[in-house]
Amino acid sequence: MVSIKASYTKILEFLGKELSMEELEDLLSFTKTEIDDYVKEEDMLVLDIKTSNRPDLWCVEGMIREIKGILDMEKGIPSYEVEQSGFSVKVDSALASSRPYIACAIAKKINLDDFHIKQLMQHSEKIDNSYGRKRKRSSIGMYNLSMIQNPVLYETAQKSHKFIPLGYEKEMSLDKILDEHEKGLEFGQIVKDYGIYPILLSADGMTLSLPPVINSNDVGRITEDTTECLIEVTGTNFETVNVVLNILCQTMADHGAEIYSVVIEYPPEIHKEHVITPLLELESITVKLDTVEKYLDVKINAKKAKELMQKRRFECKELKDNEIEVLIPPYRKDILHWVDIAEELAIALDYNKIGPTKWTVLTTGGLLPETESENVVREILVGASGIELVTNILTDPSILTTNVNLDKQELVIIENPVSQTSSVLRNQIFPNLINVVSKNTHEPYPQIIFEVGEVVKMDKNDVWTQTNAAFCIADADASFEDAHKRLHHLMKLLNTEYKIENTTHPSFTDGRCGMISIGDIQCGIIGEINPLILEKNQIWVPVVCFEVELPSIPTLKCKIKKTF
Amino acid sequence: MSSVKKKISLAPEVVKLYKEISMKDEISIDELKDVTKLDHGKLEYLLGALTSNNLVERIIEVKKKVLLTEAGEIAAVNQLVERRILSVLKENQPINSSELSKLLDTDNREMNAGIGYLKKQGLIDIVQGQISLSQKEVEVSKDIQEILVELSKRNKVDIQNYEKTLLQRNLIAIEDEKKIIIKAIVKFEEMKTNIVETSDISRLTPEMIRNGTWRKTKLREYNLDVSPPEFFTGRKQPYARFLDEVKQKLVAFGFQEMRGPIVELEYWNFDALFQAQDHPSREWSDVYRIAKPSKGKLPEEDHVKLVQKAHENGYDTGSKGWRYKWDPMKSARLVLRAQGTSVSARTLVGLPIPSKYFSISRCFRPDTTDTTHLSEFNQAEGIVCDPSITFRDLLGILETFAIEISEAPNYTFKPDYYPFTEPSVELSVKDPKIGHVEYGGAGIFRPEVTRPFGIDDPVIAWGLGVDRLFMVKYGITDIRELYSYKLDWLRSARMS
Repeated sequence: MVSIKASYTKILEFLGKELSMEELEDLLSFTKTEIDDYVKEEDMLVLDIKTSNRPDLWCVEGMIREIKGILDMEKGIPSYEVEQSGFSVKVDSALASSRPYIACAIAKKINLDDFHIKQLMQHSEKIDNSYGRKRKRSSIGMYNLSMIQNPVLYETAQKSHKFIPLGYEKEMSLDKILDEHEKGLEFGQIVKDYGIYPILLSADGMTLSLPPVINSNDVGRITEDTTECLIEVTGTNFETVNVVLNILCQTMADHGAEIYSVVIEYPPEIHKEHVITPLLELESITVKLDTVEKYLDVKINAKKAKELMQKRRFECKELKDNEIEVLIPPYRKDILHWVDIAEELAIALDYNKIGPTKWTVLTTGGLLPETESENVVREILVGASGIELVTNILTDPSILTTNVNLDKQELVIIENPVSQTSSVLRNQIFPNLINVVSKNTHEPYPQIIFEVGEVVKMDKNDVWTQTNAAFCIADADASFEDAHKRLHHLMKLLNTEYKIENTTHPSFTDGRCGMISIGDIQCGIIGEINPLILEKNQIWVPVVCFEVELPSIPTLKCKIKKTF
Repeated sequence: MSSVKKKISLAPEVVKLYKEISMKDEISIDELKDVTKLDHGKLEYLLGALTSNNLVERIIEVKKKVLLTEAGEIAAVNQLVERRILSVLKENQPINSSELSKLLDTDNREMNAGIGYLKKQGLIDIVQGQISLSQKEVEVSKDIQEILVELSKRNKVDIQNYEKTLLQRNLIAIEDEKKIIIKAIVKFEEMKTNIVETSDISRLTPEMIRNGTWRKTKLREYNLDVSPPEFFTGRKQPYARFLDEVKQKLVAFGFQEMRGPIVELEYWNFDALFQAQDHPSREWSDVYRIAKPSKGKLPEEDHVKLVQKAHENGYDTGSKGWRYKWDPMKSARLVLRAQGTSVSARTLVGLPIPSKYFSISRCFRPDTTDTTHLSEFNQAEGIVCDPSITFRDLLGILETFAIEISEAPNYTFKPDYYPFTEPSVELSVKDPKIGHVEYGGAGIFRPEVTRPFGIDDPVIAWGLGVDRLFMVKYGITDIRELYSYKLDWLRSARMS
């Protein structure tokens, strides 16, 4: 999901139509956008856009393009004239294995106010971040054209090459920019991984930018006063850099700017021929309407399909045999299959007008045997006065170790935790119950709690999820017997023979702790919690508990779930 | 009191107590407890028989009780700090404050308060840090000291004139003391002739039933106004119970349950769902990666090769695919299940047709926890597969969920986006209190998802925001309560 900020009045102004907030909200839903917040004093809308594959929609201009279609204010693919600028970019073959592709255009007669300049910057940033995969796949640069001499050179530089990066006053060398400039710290790793420094230069040797890290200070700054600019997109994917350029050109054109093309002179190592960008040839897809009608369960003839596709800003040609050829606007690369066109048609028809069926797919329903088994155990333990808990599976390692007097455990560890308190997966449940007791010392006793829940275990070869049942009693009079009688009750009702053998376990008191086994399989623990743990957790009453691994109980149908 | 006294039946124990009470004009309940050697519960129970017959009355007196605070207790023993300073000064003046502090053996805060108090009273002079007495024979806070000493001996003492000072200096605390006085309305002697001693008892015993003595026994009447003691039973966790209900409803609609592992291969969480390997939702910020072990094994089945083709060139679906080199090593990485749809993806292997499945599974995302976000939450989702199923049926399924499960008839459908379905729909419900709420979503699996598993028929994938549903239904505003550790809530959360 992408989130952008925009002005309510500017949206209406740009659309050229008055809309209530509710009407706007309805229309935005056609662009898969929701109003998350409206700050009235600042006239600011916070918009959440759900499409991660439609970067053309991540700005007010893009949304309005679609809304105009829905409102029948405009139809078909928006078009604009492109003339040759006479500018070219010479791409050096040394970039072949790092960041070989570039797409460029020139915009003139730009007339953007402060709001739209900020929109443009916001849009570029969102595209760089998400669609451009944090500038790795693509990144955008814009420059003041008046300072640039033809041809532009896209080549590599030495690390000692110097220029003044945006926001600085002094020259810095490229390696210094990567290590010290804030953008260098953020995006420098991309360049470091290349092993070379990509550089964009004006014919006179002036540096435009160090793609994808930072622009040069003067030429690389766009303001309200800029009327002519060079737009470039560099990246690792030919299609990506071109579609991003097309999106930006469309936005400029929507504001009435004139767009001029640039010749990209690729060496044969990178691309077999020169390319004139923006690349505006329309791709197309052929769609069988019979198939779409069956898929959606709606009637659409070719004429109707053409109308609907134009409403969605596509063009459409009728072919024979109830087929259509849909032409795709150059700022969209998300159409992979005819099902994507089916959705466009459904949206144009309006989901709420298509309406639901009284569907029937006759099948027999049922819970899994393991869920039924867990429910049996839950029922017995509730009957044993237990209050059921649902605690976190992703938890704090100290809850599972030091808090219950255990050393290192074989725990599944998260590589990228948000916080230490949620950084491992629990391998058993009773430590969570001890933690709950320690958080409720102000509540009346006895506290009788249990959880039947999933734990994650691993060994050398496997990682698996299984369900355990843990029961815990905290009370001034609690003793081994209180846990034992409940375990016995559970096993009796489950018709299972079990044994308890004396054992020592750091979490429990010596001589009051037993290993539970069924047949030859050890499958649980029971005992009085070691007073050391009670003291540490500031629990001032005795606590007894047991935990059993449910897959080991033969009369239940709980299975372990292997990851692979 | 009526002149014609009626007969009153009382149990022997009650009569004994009545005699005891009648011996004095009044007696406190604590004294009575001492004399009778009865525990409080039993005593109250016997008294009940007397009060209900208007023979004795309970008078509750609320008295102010003056207690020494910890500081007060100390001052009563060690003397008030200003008095201690004076006595030091009488021996050792002039003196600077650090020496004074040593001799006093107190903290500086208290000492400074004492010095300030004496200075204000004009009893000491401070010249260039040297403290001396301004008069020879001086006395300070004598009355207060006396009060403290009396209080510490638990003696009665009149503090009226000094109450404010004592409270301000935090030497005393005043508490309301409830005293229950028992007093005979009519003395036992006067009533004696009207009292019939019966074996009045409260409990019907097995012997009484067996030997018939219950016929001659009067069972004491209970006071029904008394609130009973708190009672905690075993019970299911409220949210777990709600999920049980949702499961039951889905089963009633003919959905079969499915489950999967918590630690998941990226293959099932992403690749099988046609999410490109450099898709932003596969970034660190959106999915928990496992550090150890970091990788698992891909299934040794044909679909892996076909999923690869779907990504690279669309396989045989007519799709363009994502056009990149698919890397099996990335697919074998381990993550925490980030979307319940991974369970559906596993179910696509050998999917029977027709079929309907659901799963309620714990999912994990690296979100910062707040009132609306958790890094660990439940998702309900599933699939419906049938050769005849269409997009309008999908809307029908969502309608069924809205009405039957969400109990929300004011729903609308909105276009939505999931990488693995097309078209995709959001089920949005207008709640009078919170506005538009997203209750769920659905879509038809893209052919790039289903074809690698040999499925030619449409498969509808759906999801329901069960966390949100529960919160709206029970008026919970903080999502963290769903997994609450608070016993208070777990014990008393309402079920309807």
